[in-house]
Amino acid sequence: MTMDMSRYLGLFISEATDHLEALGRDLVELERESSSSAVDSMFRHAHSVKGMASSMGFEPIAIVAHRVEDLVDAVRQDRGCLDRDLVDLLLTAADTMLAQVRAVAEGKPPDDSAALLTQLSQRVTTMTGHAPAATRVAKVTALKPEGGGPDGTDPDGPGGGSGGSGGGSGTGSDGSGGAGSGSGPTGGAGGASPGGGTSGGAGSGSGPTATGASPGSTHGGGAAGSGGDGGVGTGGSSASPGVTSGPGASTTSSAPSSPDGAPGGVVLPLNARRASDAPGAGAEAPSPDLAHSLKAAAGAPLPETLAQRWAVRLRIAPTCQVPGVRAFLVHKRLTNLGTLVDLRPALEELKAGRIPDGNIQLELETPAGEAGIHAALKNVAEVEVLSVKPAVAAPVVQPALVPVPDGARAPADTASRTVRVRTELLDYFLDTVGELMLATARLREVGKVLPENTRPALEEGVYRLHTLVKDLHDKVMTARMTPLSLITDRLPRAARDIARRKEREVDLVITGAEIELDRAILEELSDPLLHLLRNCIDHGLEAPEDRAAAKKGPRGRVLVAVKRARDRVIIELEDDGRGMDPAKLKNAAVSRGLLSAEAAARMTDREAFMLSCLPGVSTAKDITDISGRGVGMDAVKRVVENVGGTLEIDSERGRGTRFTLRLPLTVAVVHLLLVEVGAEVFGLPIAKVVGATEADGESLSRSRETALLPHGNSLLPVHALDALVGVPAPRRQGTRPFVVMDGDSGRVALEVDRLLGQEEVVLKPLSRPLDLLPGLSGVTILGSGRPVFILDVPRLLSA
Amino acid sequence: MAKRVLVVDDAIFMRNMIKDIFASGGFEVVGEAANGLEAVEKYKELKPDLTTMDIVMPFKSGIEATREIIKADSSAVVIMCSALGQESLVMEAIEAGASDFIVKPFRAEDVLAVVKKVLGET
Amino acid sequence: MRHVIFRVEKERYGLPLSAVREVVVPPERFTRVPRAPLAITGVMNLRGRVVTVVELRQLLSLPEGPTPPGRVVLLDRGRRDLGLLVTDVDGIEAVERVSTAPGKMTPAIRGVARLGGLGVTVLDPEGLDAAVVALFTHSK
Repeated sequence: MTMDMSRYLGLFISEATDHLEALGRDLVELERESSSSAVDSMFRHAHSVKGMASSMGFEPIAIVAHRVEDLVDAVRQDRGCLDRDLVDLLLTAADTMLAQVRAVAEGKPPDDSAALLTQLSQRVTTMTGHAPAATRVAKVTALKPEGGGPDGTDPDGPGGGSGGSGGGSGTGSDGSGGAGSGSGPTGGAGGASPGGGTSGGAGSGSGPTATGASPGSTHGGGAAGSGGDGGVGTGGSSASPGVTSGPGASTTSSAPSSPDGAPGGVVLPLNARRASDAPGAGAEAPSPDLAHSLKAAAGAPLPETLAQRWAVRLRIAPTCQVPGVRAFLVHKRLTNLGTLVDLRPALEELKAGRIPDGNIQLELETPAGEAGIHAALKNVAEVEVLSVKPAVAAPVVQPALVPVPDGARAPADTASRTVRVRTELLDYFLDTVGELMLATARLREVGKVLPENTRPALEEGVYRLHTLVKDLHDKVMTARMTPLSLITDRLPRAARDIARRKEREVDLVITGAEIELDRAILEELSDPLLHLLRNCIDHGLEAPEDRAAAKKGPRGRVLVAVKRARDRVIIELEDDGRGMDPAKLKNAAVSRGLLSAEAAARMTDREAFMLSCLPGVSTAKDITDISGRGVGMDAVKRVVENVGGTLEIDSERGRGTRFTLRLPLTVAVVHLLLVEVGAEVFGLPIAKVVGATEADGESLSRSRETALLPHGNSLLPVHALDALVGVPAPRRQGTRPFVVMDGDSGRVALEVDRLLGQEEVVLKPLSRPLDLLPGLSGVTILGSGRPVFILDVPRLLSA
Repeated sequence: MAKRVLVVDDAIFMRNMIKDIFASGGFEVVGEAANGLEAVEKYKELKPDLTTMDIVMPFKSGIEATREIIKADSSAVVIMCSALGQESLVMEAIEAGASDFIVKPFRAEDVLAVVKKVLGET
Repeated sequence: MRHVIFRVEKERYGLPLSAVREVVVPPERFTRVPRAPLAITGVMNLRGRVVTVVELRQLLSLPEGPTPPGRVVLLDRGRRDLGLLVTDVDGIEAVERVSTAPGKMTPAIRGVARLGGLGVTVLDPEGLDAAVVALFTHSK
């Protein structure tokens, strides 16, 4: 009877975290600039978290989320009531929920945060003029047709602390019928599940919790549980379509058609929720009216929350001539009912008629209920509905996660195409694909020593393998690309906190956050960016009175600009503060014995700025808890360089400081022409190679010292590659190969000893100190295991 | 009372065949149309319980006609008549509001099965 | 503190154990690095990583000796793959009381200590790193 909720835990953790982080961002944005879209978005985030948490049975989280929702709702009524203290309180609440989610992730029960709840409740009371409503998530049992009465639903049950809020799946046992949980408008939910199979744990969360009712004993799960239990026993399948016709039904049924119905259908029409609050309003503070309210609430089919989610299985008749069209028709019918959140096979597959055995599974969020689903499909020929069951309202996958091009409009499309992948898995894919490429190259090597007649078959196979692996690599790389916003989204919140502690005013402007980088690089950058931001605000920006004296506006300005420059991403962090003092940096380095006085004297300002990246050098006299924490500039520089990037610092006294991070986009595959010079092998990017030819070096005409190679109608300057790269090579005699390449100022011919052939390789970025050398664009390892440098010929020629 | 049907197809042969099928199933064919334009007019005039609609027709395609009919009467029941290989067009028609479809070449029992299902007579 | 003790010819050097990832035998041949400073022996493939190897003798400007280098001491510097080519590695010893080395003030050298009655020059990992980088930035 119970359901294993643990399989939803991972999704819960990641989705809830996303929502909570977004909530924090919205708050910071809202504080800066009042916008109704930010308020609405905050409301949605809080609401989503509430729904998910209650589905999972994490009552403490659901309660906090509900209070936040209340407060945001109040803000929506009166934008003016959003003051700093409220922002602080809401941010604290968001942080608390994040901590609760983390606790859950670690297998611990979320803290009940009683103190915070008291604060939140008080604030709700002062802002709205009445006490907060109980966290009523899905009052499934109230809708049991045969149960009829308000059995088990006592939303006030403050004493019922059955510990229902305990971790993870454990809660599954005490509740049931709760499938309705976050969804409920149909209410039919619990009652509808014939076998009750799905209704297990979900219910625990969904029962009306006493939560807000008594901040001290927040484990309203008890109440929920009991309600739920009632549901289990009788949870009869008798949920009839009639259930939805209750007083609240009309409100809820409007949900899916809400015009701004948001991707994924997570958005809750606000009017629906407001209606929901009414019946429960009295629950918190027991009053003479309580009994009355309860009755009202019990009788009303769950106005709160979203459409119920249903798992539908159906089969296209094997005799159907065009199963694709048939499936499309089904799809159309169901999307008319609500929001498809899962569809297998995916729509594209369905339309193409690729439906193994005609079986289709989907999950649909709809207020129409089981009967509505049956009704929608009843008149469709050649389709057999195998089952319709309530599904747990697992959070909808955010369509925003992987943007679908051309703004695919159908939520079902995005839902079926988007999936979360653990990043370790992505790393594993990349590593494995890299090894596959190496192995393929090795196979090709091996093939070269086979007898002539057996080679074509192998080569063909190797070629095919190579193409597939290359394609796979491209896909893996694409999958790994992640917008910078993943980390820059956290900056506004951080900026606010740092600035507030330092009593500074700061405007943070972020541009280009949509630019993408390989995820591995991105993740490394999170702390360094934060540190640089701290640096800018904490050390860079002056106190308001100093700014006034310097004729600057009282608000400091920090600009984070992300740009794409060919195969690099450039991140600039710039403040308009006091700038850095090269002399002070030099003194600090010298006094710490890191630098001799003479060396310091020789240093340019730019070099001096980089001294701030030596451990222990800091010009700031006050090492505050803000900047002095953990990572320093040395760590920033190290991380940036470790991912193959570079850090530069520019500063002007009185004007500000700019940190420039130049980062590789990704680990790339390049197509090379391998050439031999002396005992060394080098790679020349095919993209730059025009052709190869042979000529007798002695017979070439010369202009001054430079030999000239006839090529087409022109004479190209010849450069001996051995001299260019500085490796010894034997004196060449007679005919030798020349590679014609595009240079910055026209074509050039490179004189080499031997052409070894073409190869596709995984380019590794150059790590320090190799990246300091001019003329190298990367390094790779050949199938033989030999490291080979890839030359940047134009830079070799100019440097 | 027998359900009233409007048959739309630019080929007389097809219209006749469809009419026969309906007659054998106890339906009353109340009208015919040979193109999309005519189909929309006839629909508005006759308000049939069911319309069978060819897709590729002169003047106005069956998809366009379906769209207009549905616009005029959202409860209209339009069944597309298609050939194999016209899947994407049928999907377009479904987007436009068609209730279901039948695939040529028709077999009387298949057509009637679909029609009855759509009309909720099974 | 425990140090890895190694030699360049007869001279003994030490690096904190925490700064050393591993010790390996140099490959038959190194891939030469175009336009690299002389002290850079080349790069080697260490299980798929490209490690830059620098000859310690040259880095510290020591005189040339007769013994061919026999070990590469790989520094644990995050992802910065750097190896020191040395004559041989003696082992791991506890080194205490490092005092400033007279006349040897370079960032790469932290100081000297006594070990079993003999002197050992204690190297500074960050300083070594900086010295290598300096080779690249100043030699041009």
